[in-house]
Amino acid sequence: MKRLTAAGDRFHQARDLASVLDAACDAFEEILSVIGGFEDASDVVDVPLLLAATQAANGRDAVLFAPCLPPRRLHQPQQAGEEPQRGSAQDIPAAVAKLSMLLGARLAHTAGTMAAGADRAACQDAARYARAIHDLLTGAGAGAGAGP
Amino acid sequence: MTGRATFGDFLHAAHRGLAGGASSPPPARGDVEEVSRSLLRVVTIMGRYIQDITTAFSDMPDRTSLPLGAWDRASVQAREALTNSAGFLIPRGAGRPAWPAAPSASPLARRLDEIARSLTTGRDLLHTHFTPGPQGGRAHRSPWALAITSARVNRALLAEIGLLADRIAHHGANVALTPIGGTPTNVGRRRRLNAACQWLWVLHASAEAAHRAEPVPATDRHLLAAIPVNTLPTRPLLADAGTIAGLCDAVIATTERARYLAWQSTGQPPGSPDLTVTSMRQIAETSMVTSHNCAIVARTLAASTASRAIPGTSTHLAATAQAAQLASGTWHQIARALRQVTTDTRGHVSPAAAEAHDLAMWTGRLAYTDPTWTPASGPHHPTRPPHDLADRPQDLPQVVAAVHHACETLTLLTGTEHDQLRAAAQARRILVPTRTLPGDYDIPRPYGPAPPQRTSPLLGHYRAASQASRQATTAIGRAAQATGAPSRALTTARAATQATPSASPDTDLHDPTAEGSQQQPRDTPGPLQHTLLGLGITSPALLARGADLDQASQRLLIDAAGQLPPTHKRPPATTLNRTAASAALLNHALASGDPRATQLLRQPGQAERKEAEPEPEPEPEL
Repeated sequence: MKRLTAAGDRFHQARDLASVLDAACDAFEEILSVIGGFEDASDVVDVPLLLAATQAANGRDAVLFAPCLPPRRLHQPQQAGEEPQRGSAQDIPAAVAKLSMLLGARLAHTAGTMAAGADRAACQDAARYARAIHDLLTGAGAGAGAGP
Repeated sequence: MTGRATFGDFLHAAHRGLAGGASSPPPARGDVEEVSRSLLRVVTIMGRYIQDITTAFSDMPDRTSLPLGAWDRASVQAREALTNSAGFLIPRGAGRPAWPAAPSASPLARRLDEIARSLTTGRDLLHTHFTPGPQGGRAHRSPWALAITSARVNRALLAEIGLLADRIAHHGANVALTPIGGTPTNVGRRRRLNAACQWLWVLHASAEAAHRAEPVPATDRHLLAAIPVNTLPTRPLLADAGTIAGLCDAVIATTERARYLAWQSTGQPPGSPDLTVTSMRQIAETSMVTSHNCAIVARTLAASTASRAIPGTSTHLAATAQAAQLASGTWHQIARALRQVTTDTRGHVSPAAAEAHDLAMWTGRLAYTDPTWTPASGPHHPTRPPHDLADRPQDLPQVVAAVHHACETLTLLTGTEHDQLRAAAQARRILVPTRTLPGDYDIPRPYGPAPPQRTSPLLGHYRAASQASRQATTAIGRAAQATGAPSRALTTARAATQATPSASPDTDLHDPTAEGSQQQPRDTPGPLQHTLLGLGITSPALLARGADLDQASQRLLIDAAGQLPPTHKRPPATTLNRTAASAALLNHALASGDPRATQLLRQPGQAERKEAEPEPEPEPEL
C-alpha cells in the first residue's frame, strides 16, 4: 500500500499541468499494478476490483493522450529488486478508493481551471474514471447502471 | 422468446394451406384458369428456392472434386421439373407470366395464392441474412447465414419443397381431371394443368429418392424452421423479468441482440473509430462475469437434476459449470492483458459491448437471489437454490436454453473480438504506453504501436477463451438435447456449419409429431377406387379390392417405365395424358414417389426441357 500512498503524495504535490498529468498517469498505473499483484496472488476473482482495474486503465489512457503529458516520465518508477508490498482483499479496495477519490477531485479541479481543449477533456475524462473506481470499491455505484 | 418471426412460421403456413381442418376442408374444386395461374405463382417461387439451393451447393468448397451426391442430383432434377411444370402453366403466346389483377375466386386458387405468399415471405426472411457481395455473390450478414448455406439446411429445404409439391400436385390434378358440370371445359388447359402437376410429382420423387439415400434428420428440419428473421430483437424490459421465465427470456433476447450487433461490427473497416479499447475491455470483463454466472446456474441445475435422478443431464450440466468457469478465467486473462494496451480512439462503448454488460446483469439475476444485482455487485451474494431456479421439471429446459444462448454468444464474441483486434493490430491501431515498455524502447512519446510481444499473447488469450467457451457451449448443448430445451437448434446450426452431413439421423423427415410438414397418409384413392366412390360404393370389401387393383396398376406402370422402348418408337409423353383414364393412371404412378415412374414423362437422350414445349392442340377425349 506504500506505493499507492507515495503515488497519492506525488500527485498531491504536483503543481503545473504537466506534473499533474504525469503524476495522475503514474497513479493510475500504480492502481493497475497493485490490483494485478493481488490477482496474481489470489485464486478468487474479486469482480469489483477487476472492474476498478478496467476503469483505472481507461483513466490512464485518458491522461496518456493529453497534449501536455510529458513524453517521458518525470519520476523514475520503483527501483528494480524492491519487492512491492502486497495488500489483502480488505485493505486494497480501501487504499485504491482513497487514491481514486483524490484523483477524481484534483483532476476535476484542474479541468475547471483550464480553457476548453484536449488537455481539459483528458482531465475531465480521467476524473470521471477515477470517480467510477471510487464508486465501485465503496459500493456507491453498485446500483448504477442497474439495467434497462 | 423474442417474438421474432422464423422461417418455420411461413413454411408451416404453406403446409397448412392445403391440409384443411375442421373449419376449412381441403379445397377440392377450382376454376382451371385460375388454378393454373395461381399454381404458376407457386412454381415460380419454388423455382427461386431451388435456384438458391443450387447456388448454395455450388458455393461449397471442393465440389468439383466430389461426385454428384443424391441431393445434388435432386436439386438439378427439381429445377428441371419446375421448369417443365412452369412451361405447361404459362399461357400460350404470353411472353411472360400473366398475373391476374383480380384476386382468385376459386378455393384452390386462393389457397395456392396464400402458399405462394407464405413461400415468398419465407424466402425474403432467409435473404435478410445476406447482402449483395463482391462479384455478384452473397455476403453474410449474420451467423445464421452459414447455416442457411449449409448442405444440411438445403437438403431439409428441398425435402420440404418436395412434400409441398406432392400435396399441391394432388389438388391440382384433381381439378384438372374433374370437370365441373355446367362450366365451359377447356380441354387443353386441363391437360396442361395436369401435366404441370405431374412434373411436381417428379420433383417430389427426386426429393424422396435423395431422402432414401441420405435421410434428412428431424433436427435439420427443426433447424430450418428455427431460422429467425435477421433483425435486432427488442431490448428486454425490467418489468417483464420478475420471474425465472421472464429472466430467461431477457437473457435470450439479450444474447440475440449481442450476436446481431457483434456480427454487424465485424463488417467495420479496421480503421473505424468505433473500434475502441473501451469496448474491448467492457466485453472482456462482462463476459468473464457472464461465464461465471453461467457456471453458477449450471452448477445449481446439476444439483437439482442429480437429486431428481436425471443423471445424464446432471453430468452435462456439471461439465458445463466446469467449462464455463474455465472460460471465465480465460476472459479474465483477456481483461488483464487489455489493461496493457490502448487504441488510438477511446471512450466509445459499442452497442455490442453494451449488450455484453446487459447479458452479465441478466445472467447474474438468474444466478443470484438479489433482484437488483449488477456486475458491480460482485459475487458475494446468495445464489438461487435449486428449487427457486427450476422448481418444476418443465422449468428446466428454459433455464438450460438461457445458459445455452449465453454460452453460444460468448463463443461468438471471442471470435469477433479476436478478429477485430487482429485487424486493428495490423492497422497499427493497438498502442502501448511507452512508460510501461522496457528501457530499450526509445520512443519520445507517451504511447507507441504495440509490439508483437504485447499483441500476440492477447490474441492467444482470445483463442483460449474461444476454446473454453466452445467447450461450455458443447456441454450445455448436450444438456439442451437431453432436456428438450428450445435452444437445441443452436447445436444443430453449429454442427451444420462445421461438418458434412449427419450420418446418424435421429428421426425421419416424416416425423409424425412435427407440425405441418409431416407426410399425409397415402389415403388418396387411385383411379378405380375413385370411380367406385363416385358411384356411391361404400362396401369396404369392394373399396379394398379397388385399392388393390389400383396398387397393382401402379406397380405395373412403374415396372413398364423400366422397359420403355427406344426413343424413336415411343410416342410423346403428352400422349399419355390424352384421355382422362390414362392421365389418372399416370398420375397415380407418379404420385407413388417412386423415381422410376418419372421415366414415363422423360425422353431418354432428349433435352428434358423440350418436354415443356407447347404440346399438340387439345383433343376432346379428356
